[in-house]
Amino acid sequence: MTRKFLFAAALCLLPLPAAASDSCANVAGDVVLSARTPEVDLYDAPTGKRVNIVKRDAFPACLAIASRAPNMMIQVMVNGSLVWVPPHMVNARLTSKKPAICRNLAMGTGDSKVSATRGLGEDCPAQQKSKP
Amino acid sequence: MAEPQATRGAIAAALSRIGKPNREHMAQSALQVSRWWVAALMIAFATWQIMLDPFGFSSLTQRYTQDISNLLITGPYLYPQTGRDKISVALIEEDTLHTLQMGWPWNYGIHARALDSLLVLHPRAVVVDLLFVDQRKDDTLADLAGEVRRYREAGVPLYFAAATDLPEGALPLRRELIAAGAKMVDPTILVNQGMTRQYPVEGLCFGSKPADGLCRSLALTVYRDLYPDQPLAPLKGKMEIVWGMRTNPAFTRWITGGSCSIDMPFSRRMWLAFFDPEAVRARCPYSSYFPVEKLMMGDDDPDVAAMARNRIVFYGASLEGVQDKSFTPVNGLIASVFVHAMALDNLITFRGNPEQDVATIGPVTLGSNLAQVLAIIPVILILSWLHMGDVRRRAKRPKAAEQKGAGAYIADKLASFAWHVLAFALAMGVGLVLTLTLGLSVANWVEVIFVSLVIGGMLLFSVPDAIWGYLHHVAVGAPREECS
Repeated sequence: MTRKFLFAAALCLLPLPAAASDSCANVAGDVVLSARTPEVDLYDAPTGKRVNIVKRDAFPACLAIASRAPNMMIQVMVNGSLVWVPPHMVNARLTSKKPAICRNLAMGTGDSKVSATRGLGEDCPAQQKSKP
Repeated sequence: MAEPQATRGAIAAALSRIGKPNREHMAQSALQVSRWWVAALMIAFATWQIMLDPFGFSSLTQRYTQDISNLLITGPYLYPQTGRDKISVALIEEDTLHTLQMGWPWNYGIHARALDSLLVLHPRAVVVDLLFVDQRKDDTLADLAGEVRRYREAGVPLYFAAATDLPEGALPLRRELIAAGAKMVDPTILVNQGMTRQYPVEGLCFGSKPADGLCRSLALTVYRDLYPDQPLAPLKGKMEIVWGMRTNPAFTRWITGGSCSIDMPFSRRMWLAFFDPEAVRARCPYSSYFPVEKLMMGDDDPDVAAMARNRIVFYGASLEGVQDKSFTPVNGLIASVFVHAMALDNLITFRGNPEQDVATIGPVTLGSNLAQVLAIIPVILILSWLHMGDVRRRAKRPKAAEQKGAGAYIADKLASFAWHVLAFALAMGVGLVLTLTLGLSVANWVEVIFVSLVIGGMLLFSVPDAIWGYLHHVAVGAPREECS
């Protein structure tokens, strides 16, 4: 009897992870699933100031991402207003491509240094792209 | 009347002997040289050479020797990796600005975001190596002050580099950050002949009152706070930085267009260290390092998470036009934040007792010059004692040198070589004792070797004996002269 009960309970529990990941399946595209940190900061612009702090429990789930800033900030609609949230504060499902991170041994190359500030740069060399 | 006349005559004779000495009598007198004269003359020479450092050659050579030692042996082979796995550097670079499409300087809010994304990864402590001093209008300052509060609530120490060269009355950090409880540390570093080889022990307290009452520099303050179980040795003078070279392999993941590996045969490394030091420098910093944009992405990179979790993380920048770079013996030009990281690495690795430019014995602290003079005295006494044995033998058999054959000649040259090897070995032994027992770095005892070799050469050519013979001849005169 006990064994049957445990088996039934296990069967019930099995779909749980899938359900968790699919909890926002009804929202298409990039989506903020939930809060990740105890507090989530809301900003008025990608490089703007913090306008509000929302506790984890009060942060709404399954927020469709309206846009992403080049500095990785995520724009979502919270309580009727468009705000920006830092990506490290939320769990998100993102399909857009992340920029490649690469370094070309700029440090420790010896006795010379660049004596001008770089204006715009280029992406990683095509043949040597590192994993993002 | 006769006595003054005799004295005047003796002085006149001595003066005449100064310009026209009797070489034969000088040579005979030289064989009667006093052992104390030899030792005293050599000690005086060593003291003059070490203390006065004529033309600055000695200090230049000492530092260069330390650099070579770092490149050849200490950095690639001996320096333990104890501290490397406890420290990381999060760096803002040109590529960070390019990737995030942001300008510089960032507003306070962006730094708050970066620090918050670091806090999520559970570091042990964070040291902000950026100065927040200027009174500029920025609505996001409250965000950074709020971040200080978050760190405090999370129990993660957050240190801010504070300005030290400000006009009277100016605050070393923005007032709002101080009010939020930011801990301030003195980020001063030392430049020695253009290179970063030493690190200050003392710093400014910025109003804080340490338990031991001593105001320390950045790395020492962080170490004192985070490693109470390995207390700092009573440091005086300056820290001598030992630079590691074996880069964390996780760092190499970011690298394109080169390798961080320093692996090469020892013989090749030795060759290059002497003839092309640039070729053996490490192309990557020793401390674990990750780009700040990886934090800002919030993509849970496992390498970044591993490099941040439970580590002391330095948050700094390496940007062209922002003059915060230092030239190091093993890396060349790198961001100065790595100097603080390396100093802290030394403290952790050497358990609070890093290499220094002074030797402390109990309550007495000796400067490196005095320590070297004291250290070279036993070397001089041993060499003088051996030399005197040779002098006495020559005094007993004065004709032996003239009767040499080819074999004896070769044996004589080999003995000369062995003599220098002995001088080198004795000095090297003394140096190693100074390092192992008193923590004196190579640069602060290597002159013992140079001076010992010079002294060995002087004894080989019987310089003190010749001076003794000359002075004795001038003062006393040859027996024949006395008769006449």
